[in-house]
Amino acid sequence: MSEIAGRLGLAGGGRTWLRWAIPAVLVIVLYIVPQLGGSGSFRLGEYEEVLSFLIIAVALNIAMGYGGQYILGITAVFAVGAYGAILAAKYHPHGIGLVAMCIIGGVVGAVGGLIIGLPALRVGGFYLALVSLFAALAIPTVAQQWGLVGADTGIPLYAVAGFAPEINGEGLYIIVVSLVLLATLFSWALVHSRVGHRFVALHTSPQLATSIGIRAYRTQLLAILIASIMAGIAGGIYVYTQQFFAPGSSSVQFAILLLAGMTIGGMGTIIGPLIGSVIILGINQFFTSFQQYNGIVFGVLLLAFAVFLPNGLMARLNVLGDRLGIRPRAPSLTSGPSAALAAAPAASVAPPATPGTVTTGKPAATLPPWPPVIGAGDSGALVVDGAKRSFGGVTAVDHVDLTLARGQVHGLIGSNGSGKTTLLNLISRFYTLDEGQIRIGSTRLDNQPPHSVARSGIARTFQSPKLMLRETALENVIPAVELRVRCSGPESILRLPRGIRVNRQARDEALEILESLGLHHVLSQPAAALPHGTRRMVELARAIALRPSFILLDEPAAGLSPVELDLVTEVCQNLARSGVGVLLIEHNVPMVLSIADTVTCLHQGRILFQGTPAELRSDTTVASVFLGIDEPLEASS
Amino acid sequence: MTLFLTALFAGLAVGSVYGLIALSYTVVFNSTAIFNVAQGDLMMAGVLVSYFCLDRWHLPQIVTLLVIVAVVVAISLVEERVAVRPFVARPVVGLGWFIATLAFSLIIETVASIIYGQNPVVPIPGALGNGTVSVAGVHVATKFILAFVVMIVVMVALELFYKRTWLGTAMRGVAEDREVAALRGIDALRISRLAFIIAGLVTALAAFVVAPIVSADVTVGLTYGLKGFIALAAGGFGSLRGCVIGGLLLGVAEQMFDLYVSSNYEILAGLILVLIVLAVRPAGLFGTRAVRQV
Repeated sequence: MSEIAGRLGLAGGGRTWLRWAIPAVLVIVLYIVPQLGGSGSFRLGEYEEVLSFLIIAVALNIAMGYGGQYILGITAVFAVGAYGAILAAKYHPHGIGLVAMCIIGGVVGAVGGLIIGLPALRVGGFYLALVSLFAALAIPTVAQQWGLVGADTGIPLYAVAGFAPEINGEGLYIIVVSLVLLATLFSWALVHSRVGHRFVALHTSPQLATSIGIRAYRTQLLAILIASIMAGIAGGIYVYTQQFFAPGSSSVQFAILLLAGMTIGGMGTIIGPLIGSVIILGINQFFTSFQQYNGIVFGVLLLAFAVFLPNGLMARLNVLGDRLGIRPRAPSLTSGPSAALAAAPAASVAPPATPGTVTTGKPAATLPPWPPVIGAGDSGALVVDGAKRSFGGVTAVDHVDLTLARGQVHGLIGSNGSGKTTLLNLISRFYTLDEGQIRIGSTRLDNQPPHSVARSGIARTFQSPKLMLRETALENVIPAVELRVRCSGPESILRLPRGIRVNRQARDEALEILESLGLHHVLSQPAAALPHGTRRMVELARAIALRPSFILLDEPAAGLSPVELDLVTEVCQNLARSGVGVLLIEHNVPMVLSIADTVTCLHQGRILFQGTPAELRSDTTVASVFLGIDEPLEASS
Repeated sequence: MTLFLTALFAGLAVGSVYGLIALSYTVVFNSTAIFNVAQGDLMMAGVLVSYFCLDRWHLPQIVTLLVIVAVVVAISLVEERVAVRPFVARPVVGLGWFIATLAFSLIIETVASIIYGQNPVVPIPGALGNGTVSVAGVHVATKFILAFVVMIVVMVALELFYKRTWLGTAMRGVAEDREVAALRGIDALRISRLAFIIAGLVTALAAFVVAPIVSADVTVGLTYGLKGFIALAAGGFGSLRGCVIGGLLLGVAEQMFDLYVSSNYEILAGLILVLIVLAVRPAGLFGTRAVRQV
């Protein structure tokens, strides 16, 4: 572990122990709250109520903060879980304990979450937020009228003869605190697993996620399912500790309070939502005289945070932590992209890891081969056959034929708007074809879902790099490796032996590719801090990390320094040498002509020219269209 | 049969209100790519105003209407300034605007219920009196007819505005591509403000016609807002006619649920409707546009 930390350039020592000291103190405080704030059974009940809400906050944070799924009405799921558990306890008072109630709550919650999530996800975006909020509104309203669940007065479990909780008092408090910590730990483990990586990738950009083979719908559904199970379990805990559930226990206002806590604390951080929820729920629970005005206070806070501090208090704390040296500090990027690539200031912060390998900022002198792994069983070329696609009245791609052979560089040139990127997006299945076929060998791709493109061995980059900006360069590349270095989700989350091995392998391979491209110095920096050229290189590394059979590069050289340009040229050649088919969209025609085996020139959606670079140089049509001269390119330059 | 028709007309009237809210959502979304969650509470602010004007101060209906328009448009503009513009001005990342407009909705609701205080919920007199008109053999309250007529007029007016005027075309173009719109001399911020004025106007009209129907209950803003969303989702996102049809569909579905299933669980009608529509036809009945990227 320390070896990896070394390679990542994490400066150890200093005051980093404080980073662990703060949560440790918080945990201790949590456990001794009854000693500090009174331990009457009424007070304990109130603490336990807030604690069970914290589990919902953790659940919502997984779905919303990391998965980007705005299941705001998760309180509806909490409510059905709680009703499930309390009904079971009411009718079987003797045979039911905390564990059984949690299981029942979790199962019922999962079903509830799926009923809301399955249809709403077909549209996505804020639909889930609104549909789930409506459910959060509807469930208490229905419960108010329904005799089975006690209507308006609810079900008092303490009045049910025969129900005697075997755990109570401070023992129960300790258990509930432990469950909250367990949920938090689980969320940490999830986020730092292959499942969590997929959540964040999808949250960042559906195109990005699809381009590395992530199944969007399934991943979203998983986020909702995990959150729903946790919220349902929270319902079970709530019912066990409060021995009561009524429509008023989960109003739609409660959903908004949770959202406020989440936003104020900092969505997408592990402990931010807990801190925020404690603040908000604490105010709401213990300052009741003020309650009439709470809506204004929370509304203004929520609005202010959404506008001015969308990443919440944790983002501020992290900045503060960086300044005080509490958090491990990543080496700062002081020089520009070209200097960073060319010079070796990074060597001082990135101590040599394995002697013999290059540890300066320079790329490896000779790039290692990257033979195809995905799709390597096939030997067919990537064939675009009569592709046509119109947008309104504009035919962006008009009967284009193109063959990308393995081990070849195929240049695709043409002016802006000539259909190059559209063609790429057709291959990636971001758009569907109006006519024509796309296949690898004889296997058709154009009738398969978008994520299968990457799974068939086609990687791509984007015209403007799509990176997970809050994640480090390394974390941006790992999810791509995880498409082919596989284990099951639970193995990865729960750190089972195979999960540990595969997690580490994915990390090591990502590290190797980044290092071979000379990105040692940025491994542990968030992508947001990287300059444009470096972002392009990280994205290129991600595409290579799939170890594809074909790679589609959309203007990889745009905005690069000369040093970086040379590296991209070398990377293209190296990929072709390794047996990968490279489709290179570029405006830098000299670069394309210097490395391409075949060149296709598009003009207004149609093929103007297709042939070798030599033929292009002596061709008059291209020159006349682009330069308005009737001589071959060669003569004009 | 009479029962059925009575329920049908009541459904069309309440549905008209949902339709109006859905229309105001669409006006805002067309120009800002933002779904303004606070629309329902904006309407309830209008209902509160009509309670004060009509029940407390006994002002004439027409003056009441003007006051509602003034107040709702003013709040709408404040919302645009504090909760929406920050997200229009910068590239939209995530759903921050959703949280901001939801927060604003919470503020309106809390302020409204403080102003309304502990007063009992009272009925508010309708603009056309409390009379009824005989339609197909059943008595239909004039307030119901007014709601329906207002919605149809608003829809037709909006349709003409978007199709026939340069400004209307510009207002539709901005959300689709802000940069191109800017190149053609369209100021996105100005358009955003204008969209909130128009949406405020529509919402004010909705408040005016709904006040006699729902009485002065200021706590149901979010409920109405969410039902307006269901109207929108059922009808089809981006389609003005879809809003109207979706609203009427939801209104009638609720009344039929009351009549034939149970009036206690009326709210389930909306939930079931939206889940079925999304499962069968995600783009809504009249929707053409994919909403994936929103």
